[in-house]
Amino acid sequence: MSGTVGLVLVSHSADLAAGLRELLRQVAGDAVAVTVAGGDDDGGLGTSYDLIRDAIAEAGSGAGVLVLPDLGSSVLTAKALLEDHPDPGVRLVDAPFVEGAVAAAVIAATGADLDTVADAAEEAWHARKL
Amino acid sequence: MPESSETTIAETTVVLPAHLHARPAGQVVVTAARFTSTIEIAYGSKTANARGVLALLALGATAGETVTIRATGPDAPQAAEAVATALRTTT
Repeated sequence: MSGTVGLVLVSHSADLAAGLRELLRQVAGDAVAVTVAGGDDDGGLGTSYDLIRDAIAEAGSGAGVLVLPDLGSSVLTAKALLEDHPDPGVRLVDAPFVEGAVAAAVIAATGADLDTVADAAEEAWHARKL
Repeated sequence: MPESSETTIAETTVVLPAHLHARPAGQVVVTAARFTSTIEIAYGSKTANARGVLALLALGATAGETVTIRATGPDAPQAAEAVATALRTTT
């Protein structure tokens, strides 16, 4: 095991995924690999099996990869991909997209393992804003 | 673990140089993770564990306000001071 857990942001929108990655860099620093799979293969709104697969490969560090989808077909496509290519080091997590990614990135920056990072993302369901 | 290794409690306060927004909150979590002590940040009537970035953000602590850092554990003094330093220097 080396490095920190990597994160993959899967969104219908390339801009949304890229913007969230920018936020994660500011909150968690550069220590955490964050890759994006935003939009469809033609750059429009949607999801791409191939982009998700590439983003997972790019985020891999040996410490594991957490995949965070935004909603709908992002979830279904990521799920299908992981069912086609099962890997204990790659996990799809059920978490709010922005809050879960922020919580996961910060915990990943501490060097936490995949279980801990996934838990941090899921705990974001309970975080109140006010 | 010998009985004599007592749990220490350390408390310190910081006047925030900036809002406790995303970047300082992230720094607090990363700093706190280097210690074994449990660390809490209190602001007004709210308290957040220093391991939870979302809880820290939800404190809503703003620039110029005072927060209290409370560390409990074997390395409490060092932990409280390190988190205080992170809050004083991250804007």
